[in-house]
Amino acid sequence: MNAAMLGLYVHIPFCQSKCRYCAFYSEVVCERDTVEVVSAILRDMERYDVGDVETVYIGGGSPSCLPREELYSIVDFVSVNCGKVTEFSVEVNPGQVDEEFLKGLFDRGVNRLSIGAQSFDNSELEFIGRRHDSAAIEKAFDLARAAGFGNISIDLIFAIPGSTIEMFGRSLDRAISLGSEHVSAYSLSIEPSTPFGRAQVEGEIVKVDETADRAMYEMAIDRLGEAGIVQYEISNFARCGFECRHNLGCWANDPYIGVGPAASSYYNGVRFSNVADVAAYVDGIGGGESVIAESHRPDTKEVACETAVVNLRRRKGIVLDEFKSRTGFDLLDIFGDIVERFVRNGMIVHDDAAGRVYLSKIALPIADTVICEFANF
Amino acid sequence: MDTKHIRNFSIVAHIDHGKSTLADRMLEITGTITEREAKEQLLDSMELERERGITIKASAVTMNYEYEGEGYMLNLIDTPGHVDFHYEVSRALAACEGALLVVDASQGVEAQTVANAYLAIETGNELLGVINKIDLPAAQPDVVAEEIEHVLGISRGECFEISAKSGLGIEELISAVIELLPPPEDKGDRKTQALIFDSICDDYRGVICFIRVFSGSLKTRQKIRFMGTGRNYIITELGKMTPRMAPVDEIGCGEVGYLVANIRNLADVTVGDTITNDNDPAQEPLPGYHKPMQMVFSDFYPGNNTDYPKLRAAFDKLAMNDSSFSFAAQSSPALGFGFRCGFLGLLHMEIVQERLEREHNIEVIQTAPTVSYEVKTNDGAVKRIDSPSMLPDPSHIDELREPFVKLEIITGVDTIGGIMKLAEGRRCKLLKTDYLSKTRVMLEYKAPLAEIVYDFYDVLKGVSHGYATMDYEFTGYEKSNLVKIDILVNKIPVDALSLIVHRTNAEARGRRLIIKLRRSIDRHQFEIPLQVAIGGKIIARETIKAFRKDVTSKLYGGDVTRKMKVLKKQKEGKKRMKSVGSVQIPQKAFMSILDTSD
Repeated sequence: MNAAMLGLYVHIPFCQSKCRYCAFYSEVVCERDTVEVVSAILRDMERYDVGDVETVYIGGGSPSCLPREELYSIVDFVSVNCGKVTEFSVEVNPGQVDEEFLKGLFDRGVNRLSIGAQSFDNSELEFIGRRHDSAAIEKAFDLARAAGFGNISIDLIFAIPGSTIEMFGRSLDRAISLGSEHVSAYSLSIEPSTPFGRAQVEGEIVKVDETADRAMYEMAIDRLGEAGIVQYEISNFARCGFECRHNLGCWANDPYIGVGPAASSYYNGVRFSNVADVAAYVDGIGGGESVIAESHRPDTKEVACETAVVNLRRRKGIVLDEFKSRTGFDLLDIFGDIVERFVRNGMIVHDDAAGRVYLSKIALPIADTVICEFANF
Repeated sequence: MDTKHIRNFSIVAHIDHGKSTLADRMLEITGTITEREAKEQLLDSMELERERGITIKASAVTMNYEYEGEGYMLNLIDTPGHVDFHYEVSRALAACEGALLVVDASQGVEAQTVANAYLAIETGNELLGVINKIDLPAAQPDVVAEEIEHVLGISRGECFEISAKSGLGIEELISAVIELLPPPEDKGDRKTQALIFDSICDDYRGVICFIRVFSGSLKTRQKIRFMGTGRNYIITELGKMTPRMAPVDEIGCGEVGYLVANIRNLADVTVGDTITNDNDPAQEPLPGYHKPMQMVFSDFYPGNNTDYPKLRAAFDKLAMNDSSFSFAAQSSPALGFGFRCGFLGLLHMEIVQERLEREHNIEVIQTAPTVSYEVKTNDGAVKRIDSPSMLPDPSHIDELREPFVKLEIITGVDTIGGIMKLAEGRRCKLLKTDYLSKTRVMLEYKAPLAEIVYDFYDVLKGVSHGYATMDYEFTGYEKSNLVKIDILVNKIPVDALSLIVHRTNAEARGRRLIIKLRRSIDRHQFEIPLQVAIGGKIIARETIKAFRKDVTSKLYGGDVTRKMKVLKKQKEGKKRMKSVGSVQIPQKAFMSILDTSD
């Protein structure tokens, strides 16, 4: 039985430049005084009892675009105040790292690095607006190893307009040959609010068709799996024992604290998110006020549905005992008909002996059509 | 009252040519109602009728009017305004001696006006030509008078020019009704014969019959007999509509009024039936009686299966108020439990459907309307079938017959080409072309009813830029080269989508249908073939491609609340579907047969 574990997410709302596909909240770093934001984040963390935190994830934005000392101050805060941490990840942009920087992170207690590679194809990198090339990724990886990191993840994006299955295959091969412990592979989603979204409306870019998108996804599952980097969530793959514990917490529906502008939390049974505006966040924290923009306390039924939905993203799916003890509901009491229907058409596997209900491999590319049935009851 | 002082008349007019306004104005001028009451257009009682600008139920109003020192009783009998109610119109006209033929001075003669005018002549009515809306800037009374003369033989000099809206010429018209229309024959001393020309169901009194006494008279507490159905009743109330119900003790020969006799069910009363004195019955009923004929059939299924009892209750209630509507329980492997419903025509069907939704708040899935066919089987038996699923195996069929109608279309000469092309595509045979004036023409066709009920009127309106009008009349069943086409969804035949069509149209109709289905059925996780088959042989195919990808790539803690909303919506979207095999078919797919757009 997995007991609930507390995570801490720190959102760094800055980037060196905005990628053309990105819909996350961030501002361009040189236009902002980062010091006051970082000190606001530190004060934000002080508001919580972070002593029980077991996993930490600093993401963004690009944490690596912050002036080093500023990022280190956040890392130091965690190292000093969070004594139970077992996994401490920082996202880095391969164009923004050097030996000293990475060594500094490692020495301060960061034990997992997530490299935002996105692709190993230079034309793709340029197309999506990244400022680094594939050589920079390889160099960053080597530097990270040299700095002591034994747990490195590589982010990849597939189904980029113009991409082919061969191009994505080569990116996968490079990630494998580098020897990364973990890979996240995301299908590019074109959000309307982004430059890509607007370009799509204008007809300047054409989405990769579904069949190719699916083929790339299935190739990722197969090729990474063959290399021992096994799928454990819809978009995440790891060597045994290197699954991201922080994100496993999310998919277990565990609580987490989110600090920084636009960061979300699930804490004391309430889901809430901070204001998505740097100035408002800094002023709010400075004035000792709440920076919560939205909050919602899910009722017991909603918690059960959320738990089912996020659990089903894991390859191990819903563990029936765990589900019962966390939500108070017997999964088969509330969703028995749906489970049975999907078992019949091969979308869900119900492993009675192991007490698990999980998506079959054929359901993965179309998981939402299955998972949505668990969204309410 | 002396029959010489009675006039029974109706108003025949196309929709919007001003029938209701004219009726209101006459009621006002005769002092029957006040101006304020007139605003409420008393002759149309149901909300629905007023919104659609048509009159579903006929009723009668008695006006007492002093003319040249003598008192007259003027009975205005309202007629239903649509071709579907042909038989009801004919009974209402049969209750009259005269009819005012009202034509809009800016629009001219329309097909429906012609049809109803002919019907009035057939039922022995004297016609008065009336040109309305002469004060409109676009009025062309001379052209319209010429049309009336040409089509109906009413000399142009004899037409009355009025404006019902302003009241212009109405008093003269009322004088003409008295002067020119014949009074009823005086047969007060003969045995009683009264024609039922309409009936409605009242929550408190039960069925109210509208009657015209042709001979003898009716008195309260009299024992009467309905000659068609053979039922007996005691009259509990007689009265006149003034337009409110005003009870009287007796309705004399030539008069019009209403009758209440403790009749519970509207189905027990048939329009066209003859009422006689049970103690001293007439030898013969009045001529022209027959049961209303249902020409269009469609299946209604509750949108939500649990609404089945509610739907049955609603149909019970509708049938109480509408003797021309029928329903019978029906079940379909694809759609579950529902009802097979019969209607006089397409408009009648639409009215029932709207009342279901409006008055009973039930969502229904409705299958494509179909006409009633005749099948002659190998053993010589002939039976009527009104659903493709009732059709016997082709090897047992000797002959299939379909209903034909006489179709009249009036249109501008500039649109004649498009209309002829349309008619040709619908297997219509041109019988006659008649130029009403330099600019307008009447086309007469022999047409298969099935081609008319489908979407003909909408397309006709389209090709004629809204100007053409049409009317039709059933003429009889004839042998036809018909086939049943089956629609297979993922290799499974869906009975609710089957159609009986002419062999020459089978492929085109089938293909059009599956193209519509392809657009209305969501993509599934697998490819879905849609096929059209005739007797097991596939004649057309479309494919709904499988969807390949539907998964949220990134889902971390911060996205959960938003994602739950999206997933809930996705789940809701899957509801209100019917499962056929493993395919979810939405309601709109079953309606796609009705959809006329390409």
